Amino acid sequence: MPAMIELRAFMGLADTFRERNWDNPKTVAVTGEMTGEEFLAMLDLSPDAVEVFFVNGKAFTPDLAVVTGGDRVALAPQGVPGPYRVLLGFKKMG
Amino acid sequence: MSKFIRVDMASKAVKIEECPEQYAGLAGRALTSIFVANEVKPTCHPLGKYNKLVFAPGFLTGTSAANSGRLSCGAKSPLTGGIKESNSGGTFAQKMSKMDIKAIVFEGIPEEDKFYVVKVTMDGVTIEEAPAAIIGMGNYEAIKVLQAQYGPKVGVGIVGPAGEMRLTAANISFADPQSNIRSAGRGGLGAVMGSKKIKAVVIDDTGAGAVAIANPEEFKAASKRFTNALTTHPVTGQGLPKYGTNILVNILNEAGGLPTKNFRSGRNEWANNIGGETMAATIEARKGKTTHGCHAGCIIRCSQQYNDKDEKYLTSGFEYETIWALGANACVDDLDAIAYADREFDDVGVDSIEVSVTVGVAMEAGIIPWGDAKAMLELIQEIRKGTPLGRIVGSGAGALGQMYGLTRVPVVKNQAIPAYDPRAVKGVGLTYATTPMGADHTAGYAVATNILKVGGFVDPLGKAGQVELSRNLQIATAAVDSTGMCLFIAFAILDIADGFNALVEMINARYNLALTGDDVVALGKTILKAERGFNQQAGFTNAHDRLPEFFEEKCAPHDVTWDFTDAEIDEVFNF
Repeated sequence: MPAMIELRAFMGLADTFRERNWDNPKTVAVTGEMTGEEFLAMLDLSPDAVEVFFVNGKAFTPDLAVVTGGDRVALAPQGVPGPYRVLLGFKKMG
Repeated sequence: MSKFIRVDMASKAVKIEECPEQYAGLAGRALTSIFVANEVKPTCHPLGKYNKLVFAPGFLTGTSAANSGRLSCGAKSPLTGGIKESNSGGTFAQKMSKMDIKAIVFEGIPEEDKFYVVKVTMDGVTIEEAPAAIIGMGNYEAIKVLQAQYGPKVGVGIVGPAGEMRLTAANISFADPQSNIRSAGRGGLGAVMGSKKIKAVVIDDTGAGAVAIANPEEFKAASKRFTNALTTHPVTGQGLPKYGTNILVNILNEAGGLPTKNFRSGRNEWANNIGGETMAATIEARKGKTTHGCHAGCIIRCSQQYNDKDEKYLTSGFEYETIWALGANACVDDLDAIAYADREFDDVGVDSIEVSVTVGVAMEAGIIPWGDAKAMLELIQEIRKGTPLGRIVGSGAGALGQMYGLTRVPVVKNQAIPAYDPRAVKGVGLTYATTPMGADHTAGYAVATNILKVGGFVDPLGKAGQVELSRNLQIATAAVDSTGMCLFIAFAILDIADGFNALVEMINARYNLALTGDDVVALGKTILKAERGFNQQAGFTNAHDRLPEFFEEKCAPHDVTWDFTDAEIDEVFNF
């Protein structure tokens, strides 16, 4: 039984959504859990185009992200200023 | 040898001397902070005769190094009561360096009630009565008047009506290459300049040569690598040039760290209306510019030209923090109204962060309704009129909160907390609490993988690793603030280690030194200790390194609180 994800896209990915005539935010149907990489493949988005998934307000790299129905998800490409990438947990340090 | 200029506004005496040995190896923030720590009585009144205002370019300012045109301004802050360094773009710093001026110090206070223009040329320094026309005039027009009188290419540092009134949110504005405005915004240094009756400082580098480079070939090679790091990195090469810092509205909103309605929530439903993507589309539709450099040699070009509906220039340097404070924190869901406010901040000469946060506090007080754009603009315009309410608004969030008996006042050391909720982005909260500058996000900004030693991902909602992160960010930032580099270079050198190495090598080639990354870290520590030492002598204790109590409330959507103990906070400066 599919459930819905509320999906947002930022920066250049917002342009991609517009070019595809997608709403932003867009409602996406999923069945069960999906990894970030599976989710991007379903959307026909390259993993290289996404630095971080926000899943319910928490940042994950695509290889660590897991999404499921009812989640609020957002995609951020490369380009978020550095200190925030550290402070928001995008970037592994040390 | 480099010149060190002292201008005594009491006697009108000017002393141009060789740079004292104790300051010869310093520049930028290192110079201004160590100078203030050495020469300003910590307990002095910031607007009194014992305070000193110092301007200093960075180690690399005036060279061909990309993004190296920043000017540090330092003094005891009338807003915080502690030491202050605030830096700015514009053309002023590069002219100082080309004229081989290490620092200009403004001392004393005239007895007479007149404003002056200090003019700096290769022939010396003169102090002239300010043209009557520019007294009380907004900065945009006043810069035109001064450049018409002294030459179209002169650098200008100026205080607006707010500085003339010695309001504690007054900034010092600097003309950029298009004669628009950049500002040393934070901490009320415009009030210090106004207290010394300096309306403007004009600098004319006619006759100056190029900045001397000890090892030109090595400098050129390092500069090329540094430039390559900036241009190839997706943040500095793509993200910032297109969206500016306002790129962060949607990101922080999604992270639950976008303070909304005077820090009641970390998320709102209208963020995209004020976000960088909407702003970029608006700029393009109105034939503005999404990218613009605040000084010659800037290749990040995160500034922009935001036009009004009639496609006429409205403002530039339209930053995330200002847009956040009015758009989210004061609930004004109207980018144009915020742009008009931003222009007014520049024109009247106040810190756009401090006064924007003050607008939210004014709404908290019930002076104007939440989200009312028209009332917001009218309130900000009170500053220029010099009405009692305008003077309170121009004195910052702490002052207004005190006048209205509020406890929900987002300040640390009386300086307004910027655009990142410390409950949802805990590392920045520690920086707000502990930096000697008062709440300031840019105090913990510089990042380089070879400086930051925190392992793994740091959970923004948790406490683990945050003390070390804040400490190391502050140390690195203090060092970068001394180079004359824009802090945004940190976005690239976080990921490209060679960019950081090239930065150090440029300094070495410029001065024939052999500094290492460890030396840069040591410099950062020295600066922070000098600043904290000044504050301690001014009466600050660990008890001042605390966030307001209302941050103990839960912040949606993560329902997190500010939960660091006093002992944990005090560890940040344990180095």
